[in-house]
Amino acid sequence: MIKKAVILAAGEGTRLKPFTENAPKAMIPVANKPVLEYVVNALVKSGIHNIVIVVGYKKESILEYFGDGNRFGAEIEYVTQKEQVGTAHALLQAEKYMEEDNFLVLPGDNIVDEKGIIPLIKEKHEMVLLVKKHPQPSKYGVVEIEEGVIKNIMEKPVEAKSNIVSTGIYKLNKKIWEILHDCAKKGIYDLTNVIQEAIRRGHILKAVENEGKWMDIVYPWDLIHVNAKILQEISYSTAGKIEENVVIKGKVCIGEDTVIRSGCYIVGPVVIGKNCEIGPNVCIFPSTSIGDNVTINPFTEIKNSILMEGVSIGSNSLILSSVIGKGCFIGTHFSTISGGSILKIGDEYTEVENIGAFVGDGTIIKSNVVLRPATRIGVECEIEVGNVVGGDIRSRCKVV
Amino acid sequence: MCGIIGYVGFRNAREILLEGLKRLDYRGYDSAGIGLISDKLIVYKEVGEIEKLEKQVPAINTTAGIGHTRWATHGGVTKANAHPHTDCKKKIAVVHNGIIENFKELREELINRGHKFTSDTDTEVVAHLVEEAYDGCLEKAVSSAIKKLKGSYALAFVSKDEPDKIVAARKESPLVIGVGDNEYFVASDIPAFLKYTNRVIYIEDGEKCILSRKGVKIFDENDKEIEKDINVVDWSIEEAEKAGFSHYMLKEIYEQPRSIADSFRGRIYEKEPHVTLNVDVEVPESITIVACGTSFYAGLAGKYMFEEIADIPTKTELSSEYRYLGRKDETGLIIAISQSGETADTLAAVRGAKKYGCKVLAITNVVGSSLTRIADYTILTRCGPEIGVAATKTFTAQLLMLLMLALDMGLKKGTIEDARVEEYITHIKKLPSYIQYVLNRNEEIKRIAEEIKDKETVFFIGRGINYPLALEGALKLKEISYIHAEGFAAGELKHGPFALLTEETPVVAVVARDKTYEKMLANIREVKARNSPVVAIADEKDMDVESYVDEVIRYPVTPPVISCIPIAVVLQLLAYHAANLRGCPIDKPRNLAKSVTVE
Repeated sequence: MIKKAVILAAGEGTRLKPFTENAPKAMIPVANKPVLEYVVNALVKSGIHNIVIVVGYKKESILEYFGDGNRFGAEIEYVTQKEQVGTAHALLQAEKYMEEDNFLVLPGDNIVDEKGIIPLIKEKHEMVLLVKKHPQPSKYGVVEIEEGVIKNIMEKPVEAKSNIVSTGIYKLNKKIWEILHDCAKKGIYDLTNVIQEAIRRGHILKAVENEGKWMDIVYPWDLIHVNAKILQEISYSTAGKIEENVVIKGKVCIGEDTVIRSGCYIVGPVVIGKNCEIGPNVCIFPSTSIGDNVTINPFTEIKNSILMEGVSIGSNSLILSSVIGKGCFIGTHFSTISGGSILKIGDEYTEVENIGAFVGDGTIIKSNVVLRPATRIGVECEIEVGNVVGGDIRSRCKVV
Repeated sequence: MCGIIGYVGFRNAREILLEGLKRLDYRGYDSAGIGLISDKLIVYKEVGEIEKLEKQVPAINTTAGIGHTRWATHGGVTKANAHPHTDCKKKIAVVHNGIIENFKELREELINRGHKFTSDTDTEVVAHLVEEAYDGCLEKAVSSAIKKLKGSYALAFVSKDEPDKIVAARKESPLVIGVGDNEYFVASDIPAFLKYTNRVIYIEDGEKCILSRKGVKIFDENDKEIEKDINVVDWSIEEAEKAGFSHYMLKEIYEQPRSIADSFRGRIYEKEPHVTLNVDVEVPESITIVACGTSFYAGLAGKYMFEEIADIPTKTELSSEYRYLGRKDETGLIIAISQSGETADTLAAVRGAKKYGCKVLAITNVVGSSLTRIADYTILTRCGPEIGVAATKTFTAQLLMLLMLALDMGLKKGTIEDARVEEYITHIKKLPSYIQYVLNRNEEIKRIAEEIKDKETVFFIGRGINYPLALEGALKLKEISYIHAEGFAAGELKHGPFALLTEETPVVAVVARDKTYEKMLANIREVKARNSPVVAIADEKDMDVESYVDEVIRYPVTPPVISCIPIAVVLQLLAYHAANLRGCPIDKPRNLAKSVTVE
């Protein structure tokens, strides 16, 4: 009987900059819910209510949002990983909270659902890993399976031997603590490597594959795709005030105290938070998530985008396939351009298509600014009137 | 203050009462006690924290009792003075929050009639009065006894001969009933029982109630039974939990992006109608703000807002002084600010004002509190419970309420243009982000707190609306870190306090790049000329200030009536870290309690 789970949510998620400059990856919102909420909900729906969350980077946002877990039907305890050394080290922090024989371990920054978790719990075997097929396996831990048992996990191999990868979601047995300690002494801090060591020592790790959801968000544009996928599952609800001559089609969710003014045209799936002011004459197209306290001024079109809370968008603007961070102030006649680009992130080159712009929290963009495809702007930047901007703009910079 | 709790039901009373007391201890924490009733009445009392009391109480199986956590007013902190107090025969136990003003005469009379006293408190007289009137019916005895009392009280009684009953009464001290299923709670405050039920009946002055396992009966001051509404409170117990934060205060500081958003939600719109506060108050000719402590500083800031935005002359008065001041202006509006709605000084001030026919608008955080029932209008700050004794999220919310009220009045009066209001409202909606901006700089603020934590004196200076902020900064620092701190209007320093400046007296200067800027820089230069270290709290784009000061803490660029809110968060974090680095008990500072319900 699995009663408890550990969620590893201490990581930064540097490849998701600028959105992880002020928040941990687990708290980035998808369809107006932080990624971590999907994980907690999946556990609760699977019957696991006792959760330990390992926090670290920018932990206050997690503590503040989840509190003691009551609101989500869970009882949550927190343990802090003071320095983000690795996933195995993170798990080790939770040892004193875990007296269970068997428990689940999940990453806090991947979206999952109970369909993936319940079979894991039902598995009689004591050590189980949830695996999935992935089109780009070399970004993950690639697994080699023989008769349902995992023979090998290789983290980010140069040449992937299969297209089946580890989701990082485990059912583990308490024997793992000793192995974790031994590995820590040898300076092995990555969970995948520790599991590899466990296999080497003869522990049997069974592989389970199922149709459950597992979505990782590595780069800012992944946010757009994952947001669109999750939005497909929302249902229609409106708690706000909708004036006359507003057209709403499809699955649209509107929060409390939000006002949709005359002439707006909203096509779902779209989710809009609380206390927003939209319009008059604003068009919102699928698949878009708009956070709380957002103002969108007249004659603006938003499509396939995420606007985080507190954003204000000036009139006559166009936002396509973009992500705008919290509290950004965007002037009139703002445009993003959706298109393709080749980007260098860290040491890797990635090609992207149909992508707009990514703007970090608290940035001020004055009137008549155009952002080229795949532009990334840091937090608290300032873009002066009339600029056409592309590429990467570091945080707290001003473009004159 | 003090907190009282009573329980009758089916659960283990020991646990319920001790837990409830832990949640009430922000009301007072120098000693505690519980009285458990089954076939016996046993009282346990201890000096110090509830945990100490807990160790003393054995695991008895009872399902009814009363409890108390004390903030000493009469009589020192001793075990004998802790509540519950009992009568001579040890058959009646009582817990009390409030002050019995005529206790001395009552005590003498009781002693003359042969009663034996074991403590120095005012409360003990109540136990003996009930003992005298007792004839098998607890509520009749209580009703008779309280008629002799002058002062304030929230009382809960149990009697050994009637083990199924708790009788409670209220006059001026808060008392609230929690309605469960076959179990009932009575307490000074909702968090005491919120874990078990969120259905609440507010008891009003003069009312008495009887709780038993079968239900609650409420009686008015004429002993007539009355029906009262059950309210469902939408606070969740987790809001009253620390959940991972090391202190309630830190949790409440980090809650502010959310609490400020809750405060303005549904009340402001960039387009018409801009501000809807649901209070139908006419624009007054003048305003008088009465409040205490941090709320008073919010009021001082409010003065700047009302005068600048709505052009309404505004006075600010300390509640405790207001009663002595001469002319009450009945043509103006009184705005009373109190987080708890139970602050005795403010309630007294408001009652005094109402006698003159003034209209009163209350800004408070607690639904159904005494202030809301005396005031003509109420604006709720909607922050959820604030447990940390030092006010944080309720202060920023109060600032916001005053600003929204000023904007509303300015619009009605025509003293502010629509376009300006829209601009302010755009900024208000961004307040969660502005506060987050400051929270993101937590480590920097901590570093600066390191530099001031060992100093004996710190000064805070500001001009314009940042003068009350400077006062609040000093209050926060002294409240929780015990460092002597004083706030001044920057222009006043040279009229005396300058004599105190040395190399060892840091000065925190709150700087805004508005019409006060040049003079603030001049004041800072004057301070630096005396070699005091200066920390400036300045906006993000203020480059000039850097050359004059030793350290700068930034806040986002916004109009001063808006930036006072993120600045408040800077000051809270500065005080928090200084206190934490000094090892102070932040949530329960020495000698203080959360809601000052005594005068």
